Amino acid sequence: MNLITLIVIVVACLLGVGLYGLLITRNLIKIVIVLQLLVKAVVLAFVAAGKVSGHPGIGESVAATVIVADTVVAAVALALAVQVRMRLGTLDIPKISSLRG
Amino acid sequence: MTGLLVLSLILVPWLGALVVWRVGDSRPKWQHGLAVGFSVLAGILSVLLIPLASSDAAFSLPMGNLFGDLTFIADGLAVALAAIACVVGSLAVLFAVDYMKGEHQLGRFYSFVLLFIGAMTGLVLSSNLLFLFFFWEITALCSYALISFYNDDPKAVAGGIKALIITQLGGVGLLAGALTVFGTLGTYQIPDLLARSSEITPNLLAVMGFGFLLAAAAKSAQFPFHTWLPDAMEAPTPISALIHAATMVNAGVYLLARFYPVFEHVPGWTFAVMLVGMISALITAVMALTAMDLKRALAYSTVSQLGYMVYAIGAGGIFASQFHLLSHAVFKALLFLAAGSVIHSAGTRDMRKMGGLGKQMPFVRNVFILGALALAGLPIMNGFWSKELILEEGLKHTPLWAYVGMLLGAGLTAFYTLRMSWMVFFGEPREALHAHDAGRAMKISLGILAVGSLTTWLFAGGFSALLEHTLPFHEFHVLTLGALAEEIFLAPATYIALGVVALGLAVSWMVRKQATAPVPAALEALSRQSFGLDWLNQQVVKAVFQSAAVVQKTQTGEMNWNVVGIIGALVVVLGILLWSAS
Repeated sequence: MNLITLIVIVVACLLGVGLYGLLITRNLIKIVIVLQLLVKAVVLAFVAAGKVSGHPGIGESVAATVIVADTVVAAVALALAVQVRMRLGTLDIPKISSLRG
Repeated sequence: MTGLLVLSLILVPWLGALVVWRVGDSRPKWQHGLAVGFSVLAGILSVLLIPLASSDAAFSLPMGNLFGDLTFIADGLAVALAAIACVVGSLAVLFAVDYMKGEHQLGRFYSFVLLFIGAMTGLVLSSNLLFLFFFWEITALCSYALISFYNDDPKAVAGGIKALIITQLGGVGLLAGALTVFGTLGTYQIPDLLARSSEITPNLLAVMGFGFLLAAAAKSAQFPFHTWLPDAMEAPTPISALIHAATMVNAGVYLLARFYPVFEHVPGWTFAVMLVGMISALITAVMALTAMDLKRALAYSTVSQLGYMVYAIGAGGIFASQFHLLSHAVFKALLFLAAGSVIHSAGTRDMRKMGGLGKQMPFVRNVFILGALALAGLPIMNGFWSKELILEEGLKHTPLWAYVGMLLGAGLTAFYTLRMSWMVFFGEPREALHAHDAGRAMKISLGILAVGSLTTWLFAGGFSALLEHTLPFHEFHVLTLGALAEEIFLAPATYIALGVVALGLAVSWMVRKQATAPVPAALEALSRQSFGLDWLNQQVVKAVFQSAAVVQKTQTGEMNWNVVGIIGALVVVLGILLWSAS
């Protein structure tokens, strides 16, 4: 088993865990965490794709960009989650949407 | 030089739209002045373009493989329609200075008018089918926005949405045709299509031809799509004159004329075009007879006259149809603007409340009568020449029953025109309306259009020469003014048509004092329901809403269900990829 196959398996596992998490979770904080898992799978896939295609520089630079953008998304999402918890007193999505606040 | 002029014809009005909008609604005087300035500049430029017409590309900009080249060709057909759009546009804007005085949100009004003028010139000058489609959609959007200009009036909003939906339906036909052209010939250029149409298989050609016919019928409010135009009359009257009488509704006729050489030999195409034109001309003439709302009556008459142009194309008379387009643009803009000044000063659109207004507004009465004479097709007016030319083409190239139908339409036209004029301007005042004559800006634009409807037929010779020299794929023969006069005055068809018109006028004169519609009650009820087509429209709308209510249940708004959808789609895509790879 070479390195690339291993990476693909890891990517698939991360994607699977992330999607499963999105499917079942109702907690805002947990959603942010599973989204992070999904994005990490994508970053890993970019690096692997760069290596396979023979242009590792491109894959790595895209991966770095994604990491930066994703960190911002995570920070904003967590800030929103904190605000939701403070104002509505819950992090449960169905309850929040039924509040229509 | 030509390229610069063509570009400025599109960009000057668009720049004007931006400037008028940025000036802000707190300075209405500036907005009026700037809108008039920019539109008159566009009008002058469009007239300057006419002598420069040629069949070569005036301007070409490569846009990559996907879009083809953005090319403009200023040939005879294009410059004539661009000139109509810009000149009538500037007159309508001038009229609006008086008509829209004191209205709120003038910036929105003028910006959309100027955006429309630019898009309309782009539509006719573009020789790239895809960009033609883009401009086509921009004009539809402006039309929608201006019909719904009084957006606190639910009728105006509903009328705008109806117009938008029906013209979009036509847009789909145009896009389908354009994509078929690209798919088979690999180009969007109209001259390529005209030159290489024989390379396309007959079936595909038929798909394209009927797609374009669908587009044209929806845009030009032809049967069975004519129901949107009367409801579009909620727009301010200068808009009705400009967009819904003189320019945008002509786009469909333009499209048919432009592509006539391609589809001429598609079996059934010319017959279908002729039939659509004839049915539209006849049923809307009856509806104009029963309408009691001045603007709606004029709208029905617009559909009817557009029907004449479409019929002429079906008969192969491209020049006759474009000549009538020119005449109609001038005299119908005149009629609409004159009706606008009546409505503006009388404060109602109901003709049953009017009557005897001629004494209070003599100038408007006089120009309205000039327009009405042209619409009825009486000699010397421009409508006479072009309508006779159409009827003559019809007699030569279409079945006799179609010709008789169009003759009947001409009689009905004279009938409703006299009835309309009488109900508004003559007889006893039915209600005490305090009308005043038109303002100065109104009078200038009405006067210019009135002179136009007396004289534009003098351009017939030059117009036909222009078309013949710059449209290599159409068959025209140059028709000098003398030859035209000879052809019309020596043909027996002319006298038959004049006899029918006189009969229509005579019947109308006899029933002039009758306030109700002068047709049998059953026919009146039928025509009020738009011959069942309004009902059909409502059924379609109802079906759409019902299916939407069914589909709505799948939209829960819960994230977990949405993720299920995403994963499901992912699985399907992966499945397809794996299946096609193996």
